[in-house]
Amino acid sequence: MANQTSTGMDLQKAKPSIVEEFVAGAKKGFYIGAEMIAPAMVMAYVLIQFLDITGLMKIVGSLLEPVMAVFGLPGEAIFALVAAFFAKAAGCATAATLYSKGVITAAQATILFPACVTMGTLIGHFVRIVIVSNVNKKWHPLLICVPLVDAAVVMVLTRIVLNVMGLNG
Amino acid sequence: MAEQNQEKYKVTWKGWLALIILIISFSGIFAKIDGPLRALDFQVLTGDFGQVAKGVIFTGKGGTGARDGFMFALTLFPTLMFALGCIQVAESLGALRAAEVLFRPILRPLMGIPGATGLAFVSSVTSSDVAAVMTKGLVEDKMMTEEERAIFVAYQYAGSAPVTNTFGTGAALLPISVLPVGIIIALIFVVKFMGANLVRLYIRWQAGKNKAEGSALHG
Repeated sequence: MANQTSTGMDLQKAKPSIVEEFVAGAKKGFYIGAEMIAPAMVMAYVLIQFLDITGLMKIVGSLLEPVMAVFGLPGEAIFALVAAFFAKAAGCATAATLYSKGVITAAQATILFPACVTMGTLIGHFVRIVIVSNVNKKWHPLLICVPLVDAAVVMVLTRIVLNVMGLNG
Repeated sequence: MAEQNQEKYKVTWKGWLALIILIISFSGIFAKIDGPLRALDFQVLTGDFGQVAKGVIFTGKGGTGARDGFMFALTLFPTLMFALGCIQVAESLGALRAAEVLFRPILRPLMGIPGATGLAFVSSVTSSDVAAVMTKGLVEDKMMTEEERAIFVAYQYAGSAPVTNTFGTGAALLPISVLPVGIIIALIFVVKFMGANLVRLYIRWQAGKNKAEGSALHG
């Protein structure tokens, strides 16, 4: 409620100009880059480097090959989804790393993109959205499955869109 | 109270224009055409880095590990700053309020939630937390039921704040994606609605089952 009152008051206050709004937004973007993306990229690159040198990536990749093939992805792509579970930024960063290593193609990275955003930061957002909005506890287990199902569907959808547009080269 | 605020706010032509330009810009429809309309496209305006050698930008070639990860992160700053600046301007011009006018009447058929959730619905496009707090308030004010809240939260939870997150947390994949970012966001919205409707069906099925059990007991 306090939140809505403050929106009401904001409207009465002198409105910042478009330039000020743009600068404020761009500044927000800079901080997201510095606080979320850069650390996630460093972590993802190091992790993939580690998995690659130790040979773990190949092992896990070949184990999961049949499962991931459903989505048109190689087995190694699972690392992006696992990282996304913890944080969206880490998932996307991992997918980007796999692409730069030549493990997945640009089309396959595109398939992972909406999935990482959809199912990403599963626990963090469970607290921030499901707990904060105070949904009845009996639906909690159901709700936690929803982003996972959505992510699986969005990968299939993206693959179809890529095929239709002829970009799945 | 949410109702009063909504009536006080008038959506201006600026809001509509901002919404239309934002959608056009992110959809990539003008990216490939010749002429001045290209200037509306997000990717075109984001531009390219200069090259230090043929096909090699300042991050160099063949880097590995933490150093290469950091260099890659550096290339994402311009996109992030530009995208979030645009979104902030569009929001301040009332683009979200314009979107609310469009969505208010169709929320009931789309997800089975009341039109009163309109403001929370459009807020969830760019912020996870504001929408969650509003949702709590809507049930406390008896403007939506317990079941409707579960459906609405299922919608909000998946890909929370999809527009901000696709640009923000997804920044690493923006330069790689072969689809325009608008299509990626649209796909996320499609599954968000689908997920909400799965919960809607589940709740309806449960309610039907309970009713059946209840009548069995009485019969």
